Amino acid sequence: MDISSKKILVCDDSILARKQLMDAVKEIADGATFIEGKNGSEAVDLYKSEKPDLVFMDIVMPEKDGTTALAEIREYDKDAVIIIVSSVGTQEQLKKAIQLGAKDFIQKPFEKNQIKEIIELRLGGK
Amino acid sequence: MYTQFLGNYLLQKGIVTKEQLFNAMSRLPQTHIKLGTIAIHEGLMTANEVDECLYVQTREDKRFGEIAVERGYLSDEQVNQLLAMQTPEFLLLGQNLVEDGVFSYEELERIMFDYRSEAELYDLSLDVENQEAVEAIISKFFLMAEIPPNELNIMYLELMFNSLIRFIGEDFTPLTPMVIEEFPVTFGVSQNIFSDHEFETHIDCDRETAIAFASRYAKEDFNEFNEYIVASMEDFLNLHNGLFIVNVSNQLSKDISLSPPEVIEDGILSGPNKCVDFPVEYPFGTVHLLVCF
Repeated sequence: MDISSKKILVCDDSILARKQLMDAVKEIADGATFIEGKNGSEAVDLYKSEKPDLVFMDIVMPEKDGTTALAEIREYDKDAVIIIVSSVGTQEQLKKAIQLGAKDFIQKPFEKNQIKEIIELRLGGK
Repeated sequence: MYTQFLGNYLLQKGIVTKEQLFNAMSRLPQTHIKLGTIAIHEGLMTANEVDECLYVQTREDKRFGEIAVERGYLSDEQVNQLLAMQTPEFLLLGQNLVEDGVFSYEELERIMFDYRSEAELYDLSLDVENQEAVEAIISKFFLMAEIPPNELNIMYLELMFNSLIRFIGEDFTPLTPMVIEEFPVTFGVSQNIFSDHEFETHIDCDRETAIAFASRYAKEDFNEFNEYIVASMEDFLNLHNGLFIVNVSNQLSKDISLSPPEVIEDGILSGPNKCVDFPVEYPFGTVHLLVCF
């Protein structure tokens, strides 16, 4: 699959988690431009300056957590496509993410086919 | 022990919509478990039998349990056992979705089966000897540390050994745990968990051991100590703690949160109350799992 024109923001405080997610996307589809953020504040700033097509975001992060960043991004752009990728998939977190407009919630450790489905659904055929 | 909250699982499988899930979740605090639901979950009744009893209940003024006993699906003793059982929260969620007509009891039965096989982490089932050793160590720890062995504490420690087996490998030997005032840190990562009380978990080892530990966790061949090694250790701890919280969310209605993991180098670790060191020996070195209560 070719997603050359697409921009993907990956926001996680772990360099390893960012790498693994980007590797998973690259295995499924080629050509996307990746932007990396290490916390929620960076996610909000990068979203505004780069206007990515898709955002993968963790919840537990320093400075500003993922749900706060999700709310701020959705306030700025109600069409933002944000996927939460977190180890803390509890009822409360899921409820919050849904309410705030996350498009999907992936529990870590993720499986590659979950990433594949999301890429196909959100970036394929556009 | 579950690796994923049921609601999350249903959403990802496309079984429910966000609206249906949200509706069912928002009613959870007022939901009471029905005998039929828990009987299905415990494998004592089939969905068809439950549906049959529910149908009879609309015609006869009797309790569900009474009808199930009359029809020979349950014994009196089983009814009492089911009534006394603590209900996992995910089961209430499933029941709400049945009541909302999102799926039937029969479908719930199948969903539960699939969910269990896909999202359940089997308790130390890989190696009986290892399991016995770990259980013995956990019970000895509570005795030594004079900490009440409540459900949450036991779940946390059992899951910790499960996480080691699942993400690093089962070729470890648990050594004798020690209660300590302070622990001299060489290199390690810490994370705080906030619940009824706050506690901190720390993983400590020398840098060579960390390289091997990280290589196994990340499934990569790391050769030198760098930021990926640190990130792997943090990820392991964060993942383990995350799974613990998912389990608690599934089983009990408890609100627990996590702080981001932190790196500690060459310092002293001390908790507000007690710290316990669980050393485990891998072929590549010794890893200290510390829990400070």
